[in-house]
Amino acid sequence: MKLRLIVSVVAIAAAFAAPLAAQRAAKPSAPTPHWPDGRVNLGPEPGGKGHWNTGVGNLSEADVKMDGAFLVNRADLDKVAPFQPWAKALVQYRLDTLGKDDPHPRCIPPAGPRQFNTPYGLEIVEQPELKRVLILSGGGSRSWRTVYMDGRPHPTGDEVNPTYYGHSVGHWEGETLVIDTVGFNERFWMTRRPTGMVHTEQLHLIERISRPDFNTLKYEVTIDDPGAYTRPWKAGWNVPWTTEEVEEYFCQDNNRDLQHLVGGTAE
Amino acid sequence: MRVRFFVALSVLLMGAAASAHHSFSSEYDASKPVTLNGVVTKVEWMNPHVYFYVNVKDDTGKVNNWALEMGAPSGLQRQGWTRNTLQVGDIVKVEGSAARNGTKLANARNVYKDGKKMGAASSEGQGN
Repeated sequence: MKLRLIVSVVAIAAAFAAPLAAQRAAKPSAPTPHWPDGRVNLGPEPGGKGHWNTGVGNLSEADVKMDGAFLVNRADLDKVAPFQPWAKALVQYRLDTLGKDDPHPRCIPPAGPRQFNTPYGLEIVEQPELKRVLILSGGGSRSWRTVYMDGRPHPTGDEVNPTYYGHSVGHWEGETLVIDTVGFNERFWMTRRPTGMVHTEQLHLIERISRPDFNTLKYEVTIDDPGAYTRPWKAGWNVPWTTEEVEEYFCQDNNRDLQHLVGGTAE
Repeated sequence: MRVRFFVALSVLLMGAAASAHHSFSSEYDASKPVTLNGVVTKVEWMNPHVYFYVNVKDDTGKVNNWALEMGAPSGLQRQGWTRNTLQVGDIVKVEGSAARNGTKLANARNVYKDGKKMGAASSEGQGN
């Protein structure tokens, strides 16, 4: 009886899920919202509510089969990025040890592309009068990145102070916000999926953010890090909109993961 | 029967919303399922994970205090939980996965109270 119930639940759930997915795909989203001056609005409309429901997204050059943050097939690692040998060996070690050394559960900020696939949401707040864009992370350590839109250059030489979020400058190319970032430190893992992706202080990111329709944020990133990879490479994913507001979340609040993060050996 | 079916279906569909800030498998072992029956001794309705604690008698009659990790408060609220859903003194059954560190700790997948299955906004199966 129990087996029949389970079978019928799974079968009917599958039968429901397929048409629901098709309906969602078929139902047209509202169009991309714009401000009165014509710029794309990357947040809620005035009087509206909602945020970008981050959590999915895989930082990989090619489509690879994933089980959450882990590769299903070890051999696919070469399809993820053009690793230098040391970088590949380190990522493989981090995968093999089940991500136990990830700084993120220790409440280190979700910097770089990780800001766009960390659970608990993202908001992009424009301050045109200040010529800034703030990218606010609802999850992790509940931190933010400032993107300077005033044309200032990146710091150079000894002016560079490597930080988690680095130094971001941005500009609009039509409907796309283009952000150029350097000055990262090496004390974070730059994506949630696959776990363990490496970078060096030479990391240079070019992110292209657009909103092809109301419910979709398109995130595209070029990763240029001659310290870890043999050539620049690209990845990207879509982040869905949700009409719920971001709720308060602090990784630091009651974090017991330090004692629990023992990892193990992947099979 | 119909009610059970829809409860099961909704739990199945809601599971997709669960997420976490650490990789499930870095802390828990899905191949080591546990089922615990006992009395709630403490509830920590806090981020990044809600924890509750249950006194459970083992086979020798010794009482162990188990720590159970669930999802974040926001994830649990989306599954119908409130901060008052679990109270000290409640008798519960918990299904979950044991911690890799060998302590009396598990990731809760389902909590049952008064025979009602309530989920736990767990990241298990999400690979998060």
